[in-house]
Amino acid sequence: MKTTLHRIAFTALATAISTSALAEDPLRIGAATYGLQGEFMQLWSNALEAHPAVLSGDVEVTVFDGRYDALVQSNQFDSMITRQYDAILFVPIDADACVAPVIKASAAGIPVVGSNTRCNTDQLASFVGSDDVLAGQMVAQQVIDQIGDNGKVVVLEGPIGQSAQIDRGEGIDKVLAENPGIEVLERRTANWSRAEALSLMENWLTAHRDEIGGVIAQNDEMAIGAIQAIIASGRSPNDIAIAGVDGITDALKAVTQEQMATILQDATAQAQGALDVALARLGKADEVPLSDIWERYPELEWAGGEADTYNIPWTLVDQDNVAELLEQRQ
Amino acid sequence: MNQASSSATPTTSATDHRNRITGFLSDYGIIVAFIVLCVILSVVSPYFLGVNNLLNVLRQVSINGVLAIGMTFVILTRGIDLSVGSMMAFAAMVAASFAVVDSGMPLIVPLTLGLAAGLALGCVNGVMVARFAIPPFVMTLGMLSMARGLTYIYSDGMPISSLSPSFLWLGQGMVVGIPVPVILFAAVFMLAWFTLRYTTFGRYVYAVGGNPTAARLSGIKVSRITFSVYAISGLLCGLAGLMIAARTSAALPQAGVAYELDAIAAVVIGGTSLAGGKGRIVGTLFGVLIIGVINNGLDLLGVSSFYQQLVKGAIIVVAVMLDRSRLSNT
Repeated sequence: MKTTLHRIAFTALATAISTSALAEDPLRIGAATYGLQGEFMQLWSNALEAHPAVLSGDVEVTVFDGRYDALVQSNQFDSMITRQYDAILFVPIDADACVAPVIKASAAGIPVVGSNTRCNTDQLASFVGSDDVLAGQMVAQQVIDQIGDNGKVVVLEGPIGQSAQIDRGEGIDKVLAENPGIEVLERRTANWSRAEALSLMENWLTAHRDEIGGVIAQNDEMAIGAIQAIIASGRSPNDIAIAGVDGITDALKAVTQEQMATILQDATAQAQGALDVALARLGKADEVPLSDIWERYPELEWAGGEADTYNIPWTLVDQDNVAELLEQRQ
Repeated sequence: MNQASSSATPTTSATDHRNRITGFLSDYGIIVAFIVLCVILSVVSPYFLGVNNLLNVLRQVSINGVLAIGMTFVILTRGIDLSVGSMMAFAAMVAASFAVVDSGMPLIVPLTLGLAAGLALGCVNGVMVARFAIPPFVMTLGMLSMARGLTYIYSDGMPISSLSPSFLWLGQGMVVGIPVPVILFAAVFMLAWFTLRYTTFGRYVYAVGGNPTAARLSGIKVSRITFSVYAISGLLCGLAGLMIAARTSAALPQAGVAYELDAIAAVVIGGTSLAGGKGRIVGTLFGVLIIGVINNGLDLLGVSSFYQQLVKGAIIVVAVMLDRSRLSNT
C-alpha cells in the first residue's frame, strides 16, 4: 500500500518535472496588433499562426487585439514585459504613440520587430512591412495608365492623419505632379469605409456627371464602394479607371470582372517575415524552420535577419495572377 | 396630418390642446427648416434638385431612417437605444451568412434569420430594461459592446461577400424607378405613423413616456410596453442590417459603428423630447432628411467632411435649444 502510494507520488513528480521542462521549451512570442476587426489583420494573424515554427511547436504565439487604441496597446506591452515574452511583433496603431512601449520593452531586453505599420523610433530591432508611399505611386499610376495623359480623377483617402493615409497620399501626389494633364476633381476621406465611399461617390457622380474618368482609392474597401455607386448610377465600372490598395478578397473578385485594379499588400509575408526576423534576433534561426517568403521574393535580401528594414514588395494584381491569389484565400 | 399625432397623450384635455398647438408649431418649424435648406442647396448647386440626386438622398438616408424610427419608439418611452449600430451589424452578418451565392438557401431564410437576429437582441434589451429595471442607457451601452462582440465571433472578424443577386436587390434594386431601400423605409414609416397615431399601443407608448406612474395606475402594463419598444427597435435593426448588407454587397464586421448617434440625432432634430412622451414620427422623418440633405449638399459643393460634422453637430444643438424654449414657454 505504502509503496504503491510512493510509486504514484514519484510518477506524478516525474511527470510534473518533464512537462515543465517541455513548457519551457517553446519560445513565447507576443504579437501586438492594432486591432483584429479588418480583413487585413485577420489575414496577418492567421499567417502568423500558420508559420512553420509555430506549427512545429517550437514557437508559441499570442496575438493581442489592440482595439485601435494606443493606450490598450501600451497596456498589452506592459503585461508582455511582466510575463517576460521572448520577443514582440508590433503592428502599432499610431507611429508616435508606439515609441514609449517599444523603448520600455527593449530596455527590458525584449526585441521588438515592427510589422505593417511604422513606428518613429530607432529602438525597433527591425521592421518588416511595405512602403506605403510606393503603394500610393502604384495606385495612381494604374489609373493614369488607363485614362492616358489627360483626364479627370477623384481621390478617396483614408482617415486624415493616419500614417497610411499620409504616405499613400504622398505617393499619389508624386505621380500627379508628374502628370499635369490629370485634373483632380475631388479629394476627400471616406475613412477606409465602403459604405461612406458609396455615398460620397454617388454624390460626386451627381456633381460631375460623366466627367469622372478615374477613381484613385487609398484602399480596396473604398474602391469597391465607388464601383457600387457607379453601377447604381447606371454607368459601367469598366468605363472608369478604378484602383485600390491592399488586395482584399472582394477586390480580387472585382479584378476578375475587370472592374478595378488592386495592389496586393502581402499580409502573410509581413507576418511570417517579422517572426523570422525575431527568431534570428533570438539566435534561433538555425534551429527552427523559417517561412518560405524569402524564396517567394528573391529580390528580398534575408541578410541573416540583420537588416533594419525589410520592404515586402507590392504585387500588382491583374488577370495573370488573380486566379492563383484567389485560390490561396480559400 | 402632423398636428394631431400628439393628441394621443391621454391626459387632461387642456394639456392635450396645448400639446396640439405646440406640436403643430414644432412640426411646422422643422418642415420650414427643411424647405429652407433645400431652397438654399438648390440655388448653390445646380445638381441638387435633379431626380436622380433626390433619389440618391432618399437611398442614402433609408438605413438611418429605419433605425431612427425604432429609436423614436424607444425615446418616446423616456428610453434610449445605444446598441442599434451593433445590432444592425450582427443582423447583417447573420443574414449574409445565409445569403451567399453557393449556400443555395431560398431568399426567405436570410431574410427571416436577419430579422430574427435583430429581434432577439432587441428582446434581450427589452427584458432587461422592463423586467429587471436596468437603466436603458446602461443596458443598451452593454448591448452595444455585446452585439459587436457577437458579430466578430460569428464572422471570425472576416467580411461575408458574394451574396446572391436576389438578396442584393433589397439594397440595390428598383421598383418603378424607386430604389427598394426607399420603399422599405417608406413602408416602415407609414406603419410606425399609423401605429403611433391610431392604435391603443401607440397611445400607451406616449402615456408610458409621459408619466409612467399615471400610466400604471390607469391600468397600462408599463413593462409590456417598455419591452415592446426595444423589441421593435431590434427588429428594425434587423431590417436595416438586411438593407446595409445588400447595399454594400457584403456584411462587414465593423459596419454601423456610431450609427446610433445619427439615429438619435435625427430623432432629436425631429423634435422628440428625450424626456419622453412628446414627439412625432413625422418629425423624425424630417430629422432624417435634414441630416441626409446636409451630407449630400456639402458633398455636391465639395465642402470638406470636417465641416459636415461641424454643421451636423450645430444643428442638433440648435434643435434641442428650440425644443427647450418651446417647453419653457408652455
